[in-house]
Amino acid sequence: MSTKIPLSSLGRSGHSSHCRMCLLGLPFSQVEVDSSRIAVVFYCLGTLDLLGVVESKTSEIERETWRAWLWEQQTSSKYGTGFQPSPYMTTSAASTDHTEYDVPHLIMTYTAILSLAILRDDFKQLDRSGIVRFLQACQQEDGSFSALPNGGESDLRMMYCAFVISSMLNDWSGVDIDRAVAYIQRCSSYEGGYGQTPFGEALGMSALMFRNFIHYQSLGGTTYCAIASLHLVPDTPSSPISERISPIQRARTIRWLAQNQTSSGGFCGRTAKDADACYCFWCGASLSILGEGGLVDEDALAAFLLRCQFKFGGIAKAPGERPDPYHTYLSLAVLATLPPHTDDTSWKLPCLDTLWNATQDTTNWIKSHISDHNDLGSE
Amino acid sequence: MNPIAPIFYTEEYKDATDYFRGIVKSGETSSRVLELTEHIIRMNPAHYSAWQYRYKTLLALHSPLDEELRLMDALAIQFLKTYQVWHHRRLLLTALNSVPAAEAELAFIRRAVAVDTKNYYTPGRTDKELLEADVRNNSAWHHRFFVVFQSGVRKGDEDRELVLRRELAFTKEKIALAPNNPSAWNYLRGILEYTKTPFSTITTFVEPYASTSRSSTAEQEIVIDLENPYLRKEGGASTMKAVEIWRSLANVHDTVRKKYWEHRIKDALSSIQK
Repeated sequence: MSTKIPLSSLGRSGHSSHCRMCLLGLPFSQVEVDSSRIAVVFYCLGTLDLLGVVESKTSEIERETWRAWLWEQQTSSKYGTGFQPSPYMTTSAASTDHTEYDVPHLIMTYTAILSLAILRDDFKQLDRSGIVRFLQACQQEDGSFSALPNGGESDLRMMYCAFVISSMLNDWSGVDIDRAVAYIQRCSSYEGGYGQTPFGEALGMSALMFRNFIHYQSLGGTTYCAIASLHLVPDTPSSPISERISPIQRARTIRWLAQNQTSSGGFCGRTAKDADACYCFWCGASLSILGEGGLVDEDALAAFLLRCQFKFGGIAKAPGERPDPYHTYLSLAVLATLPPHTDDTSWKLPCLDTLWNATQDTTNWIKSHISDHNDLGSE
Repeated sequence: MNPIAPIFYTEEYKDATDYFRGIVKSGETSSRVLELTEHIIRMNPAHYSAWQYRYKTLLALHSPLDEELRLMDALAIQFLKTYQVWHHRRLLLTALNSVPAAEAELAFIRRAVAVDTKNYYTPGRTDKELLEADVRNNSAWHHRFFVVFQSGVRKGDEDRELVLRRELAFTKEKIALAPNNPSAWNYLRGILEYTKTPFSTITTFVEPYASTSRSSTAEQEIVIDLENPYLRKEGGASTMKAVEIWRSLANVHDTVRKKYWEHRIKDALSSIQK
């Protein structure tokens, strides 16, 4: 359009510094991430990866000790193997006897594998068959997945993590696909999006209604989780990919996603709410997976994210707010997926794999170091 | 070992969590465990292990769960956006399984919702604005859809027609009150689709909102659903009327979604040609 103001530059070095600072340490005010630290690690490393500065902004020694630290979080128990968020529940490093309280966590397992891949680990320590058993232990009767094998939240975010992990392992034996897909379909709402969970029993409703108010700090965007999951699962005789989303449902979802781009240029996560940087990714990437990324006004989107930049680095959920690695990473991820029309090279970002949510290079690393080895040791 | 993203713990938090790890290891369930977990939760409400262990201890001690719920009321308001707070409530309510507890919960939710939407309840706002703030509550619309159509509570086939008419009347009234509220329009769409009622049946209601001369950006949301009356009508003339509205949306009223409306125009035109 003729009236558009040209975009100023993307503050790349500020964003990488913000994430590097967080990798070195977090203030006590961030203590809530104690039980989800690996997710924060992934958003920081993912930012450096998207900006192409992993090697220049971190030293080889740091990368090596970080890899070692991440492997320390891989834990095996009667529920199989996965990663815990941090040593926050580990009594001593040498301890091998596990309680019911230091079991692996699905989101942490997904983000640990991505983090290790960004650090170009060889994955020789990955306990493939243990992870498959862990996924089995997390799947519930209704097809959903819980965060922990012995409890915790159970919603589409966990489903997505279980699906990406299976896809990375190139081994779906940990998942009852048909039950899982039916669960996702039950989460679809009349608006076109997907809820965290299907409408269940009346009691659950009170809690559920509430959960709609909750802005998830870790992995929001359940519609993204649903759409990506439905595209990740391989065909089964009773659930071919082509039939998982009906044409009417697809049109409804596209309409709702497009409706969420507000006049500010950013996307909101629920009908008629304010735009938020993270929903720019969740909605934009969903449209992209559905093959309709072209419906997004990329220039307005980039202009919104520019306004969310913090002057000392990092990107916040909305203009004027404090930045954090989660919003920084997801903003860059959507800019990599749906780049604005500009000749300014500061906007140039690498290709993103929208299903796994990682750069193409990192995805290729996982494929050659994990996915292509599914005949080794998984039996 | 050099940890990644270490949190600089306070001494108080470090002591409490060290102690907690010791208790988990020994398997102790006692009233001091309840004190300790509450202390940790107040410092870090996302500490899911502390919540898990607290729940186990409550059950082991046969503690009165309704008292625990009342203690949780204060914590829930303080940590409204922390998942664990709500998960714990849900476990307690499931274990209690009582009608008075469920009633108290509904009353509590109404209070908590008021806290969540407190930004709307500022002095100087008119009653109408308050009502509009309420009709814009998308969660409330979802809750209504569940209660009306998905909860399984209904009297029989006779009722279906009545329910649809009631919901249409309710929704139209709310739309008239706040025409640029997409939640209400989405609900209207939802009930029509769910009951397989053709969109064309509400043409007379929607048409007045379909003016292409609107210019106020605040009202652009209204027009978004204006494809409704025309889209599913038979014949090329109505499609052309829808296309005309979409063009004005794409070029004037809703330019952020220009490409979306152009996509709809292309689809509609190609379906005529078929």
